[in-house]
Amino acid sequence: MFRRSWRHAAAATAAVLALTSVTACSDDPSDAENRAGAMENYAVGTQFKATEPVSFSILYNNHPNYPLKNDWLFWSELKSRTNVSLEKVAVPLSDYNQKRSLLIGAGDAPLLIPKTYPPDVHAYVSSGAILPVSDHLDLMPNLKDKIEKWNLQPELDTLRQADGKFYLLPGVHEKPWHEYSLAVRTDILDELNLEVPKTWDDVYTMLKAMKAKYPNIYPFSDRYSQPNPAGNLLNLLAVSHGLEGAGWNFQHVSWNAQAQKFEYTGATEQYKQMLQYLNKLVAEKLLDPESFTQTDDLARQKLANSKSFVISGNAQALVNDYRPDLAATNPKAKITKIPLPVGPAGEINPASRLENGMMISSKARDSKNFVAMMQFVDWLWYSDEGQEFARWGVEGTTFVKDAAGKHSLAKDVDMIGLNPGAPKHLQKDFGFANGVFAYGGKPELVQAFFSPEEQEFQQVMNARTPKSPPPPFPLSDEEREQVSLWETPLKDLVYQATLQFVLGQRDLAQWDAYVAELKSKNMDAYLETVNKAYERYREKHN
Amino acid sequence: MVTVDAAERATEVGPRPRRRRGIRQTRGYRVFQVVNAIILTLVVVVTLYPFVNIVARSMSHEAYIIAGQVNLVPRGFTLDTYQLVMSDPLFWTNYRNTVFYTVTATLISIVMTTCYAYVLSKKHLKGRTALIGIAVFTMFFTGGLIPNYVLVTSLGLKNSVWAIALPNAINVFNLLVMKAFFESLPVELEEAAAVDGLNTYGILLRIVLPLSKAIVATMVLFYAVAFWNSWFAAFLYMDQQELWPVTVYLRNLIAGATGAENIGAIAEANEVQAEATLKSVTIVLTTLPILLVYPFVQRYFVRGIMLGAVKG
Repeated sequence: MFRRSWRHAAAATAAVLALTSVTACSDDPSDAENRAGAMENYAVGTQFKATEPVSFSILYNNHPNYPLKNDWLFWSELKSRTNVSLEKVAVPLSDYNQKRSLLIGAGDAPLLIPKTYPPDVHAYVSSGAILPVSDHLDLMPNLKDKIEKWNLQPELDTLRQADGKFYLLPGVHEKPWHEYSLAVRTDILDELNLEVPKTWDDVYTMLKAMKAKYPNIYPFSDRYSQPNPAGNLLNLLAVSHGLEGAGWNFQHVSWNAQAQKFEYTGATEQYKQMLQYLNKLVAEKLLDPESFTQTDDLARQKLANSKSFVISGNAQALVNDYRPDLAATNPKAKITKIPLPVGPAGEINPASRLENGMMISSKARDSKNFVAMMQFVDWLWYSDEGQEFARWGVEGTTFVKDAAGKHSLAKDVDMIGLNPGAPKHLQKDFGFANGVFAYGGKPELVQAFFSPEEQEFQQVMNARTPKSPPPPFPLSDEEREQVSLWETPLKDLVYQATLQFVLGQRDLAQWDAYVAELKSKNMDAYLETVNKAYERYREKHN
Repeated sequence: MVTVDAAERATEVGPRPRRRRGIRQTRGYRVFQVVNAIILTLVVVVTLYPFVNIVARSMSHEAYIIAGQVNLVPRGFTLDTYQLVMSDPLFWTNYRNTVFYTVTATLISIVMTTCYAYVLSKKHLKGRTALIGIAVFTMFFTGGLIPNYVLVTSLGLKNSVWAIALPNAINVFNLLVMKAFFESLPVELEEAAAVDGLNTYGILLRIVLPLSKAIVATMVLFYAVAFWNSWFAAFLYMDQQELWPVTVYLRNLIAGATGAENIGAIAEANEVQAEATLKSVTIVLTTLPILLVYPFVQRYFVRGIMLGAVKG
């Protein structure tokens, strides 16, 4: 008797368990219970509008230049177009990442978590707090359309985790957008009858000529050396040499297309070449040795006082820093950002077409509005209409279009000084062109607010071949943990040796000894792990 | 009475040797005085210079700061950055928050710390060691960021002043200093008060506290400065910018000016928030009010600390 009832109980438990697991597995998004508010026939070109008023919580990165206002036209227009209202958890931009980690760790995260950069995602994947969005792309026709039309699949694959899924909806660009290069005093070029340098060798020739005329100064004194030495300069050189990145964009491994495997960036022949180049600049006193340690302010000071003529920068640094600095000390000075000098890798555009994007809380999956939310995200962040709305606002109110479809701001609306003296501001008074909602898109949209000279720069860069992304090598949790233990000592050694080689404290003849040191710090094991992960992924997905 | 001896020695270093040992010592003493004056003047210069420099920078044009030409006097005098910061209504909202949070949190802290310290100063209290142990334990071990956050959130304190005031209400260091002070008060006073019919609360409120103005003033200053400067708790628990204190506001402003985040648009030339100037303005605006409190509490400040520390 007892035995039988025990068996019954066991059977019942098993049945219950089986049932639960069945429900748990039926992750089909077409479930009626999570379609509340969703549109039946949502597709590319459809204006998304929830069938009932819905509301989603969102982590809001509060930019001090346009602090959050609840009466922005953005919110009311969004509500009337999509029937969606957003509950903002306002976080100061200064410490956005920290609060994001805290909220996710505490299980208190809002449903939508925008402004997340791809590497930041790894930390959250194993916790299960973030939704694997790649499972739900079917709900996002606009994103799928863009992936196909702009051929974004290889880039998206780099986001995949060990389970083959990705957890981030990235901002996607049709064309890569490269920002940083060298800023050069063009009045000095004119004075010396020099052309704008095209290649790194031209840069050397130019510096040489500057030095000949002004022997008492270092013509090139660089910034961005904190926390890592010459963050930008090393990166520019590395990508021009066909590596994935160095300096402030330090990438441990670079893809070698010929050998079909990953190599350790700091041990490649290309890396040695670029160190040789820098060493030559330092040895001939063309590059200020302090470039690798000084603060940004000091580098700017040298430029402002004509103690140097060349410095790293992007469009903002040019307009916000260098020109005002020079205007105060030397009104005749002219400075411009030159197109990225070409290196052995040829004329490439090294920028990625992905930028920061959005994570979605996995608890969204249990919401009855889940489908509506995915459609909403797809519309606002990935549809042409949504992107135009987020960036330009409302036609007739904040912007106008001419016959050719070119956008321009309405007369009483200003942004980056396009309508000086206009009483209202696109970001501050209307909430458009907001970093939380506007990213990626077609070049026309992305570059809409660029100055003419920056548009010119982008044209030159876009004419170059986009660099193809390296193949994905998603690591498992254990591998990632192991690899991250190796990473810090390796990186420290590379930085240290880079400085020693460049500044001439160590002879480049000792390169092999340096590579041996890298090996003693587990470089080979690191590469093996990465290459194994690459092979594993390739076998599974080809 | 070790302390009295020490104090006497300190005050009598000067005149006594002159009488006892004649001119040579006097000369030596004079040399000492001159050297002392020079050293102290140097200390004053060293500590004052950064301050004056910050004020000068806050009123200078950024170009001069970058060019490294601003020392004691503002160059290219401008109050634009002050205007920029102070014209934002949010700045004033947040400033009001700072004042409100500081006053509330300091009040709570001082009441809690006084009560706890007074209890701990009674040697006959049962479980006194355990109570001290509990307090000291928190100096070395914390629950960690996320557990704290979860606790405060589930207590429903988020987005209220309590999230700032309650979790940090008692600073253990301040508690121990205060306990030491209370222990130094003569027991006879309290016994006499008890004989005259005062209960425990009466003794605390009418006898002990009036005698403890020095230490209380010192503690108020410690707490007020700490709460005034703090931003982290508010950053963690406040989800609306209208609730932030001014520290978070200014921190964010600097982050925006350094331009780490931008959407590819170039800021207007006339709106370029001069980063270097902005930092100085921020420092001036946040430290000035609390600095003004110092002179008034100064005399208590020195005495209070000495009393608590020496006799403990």
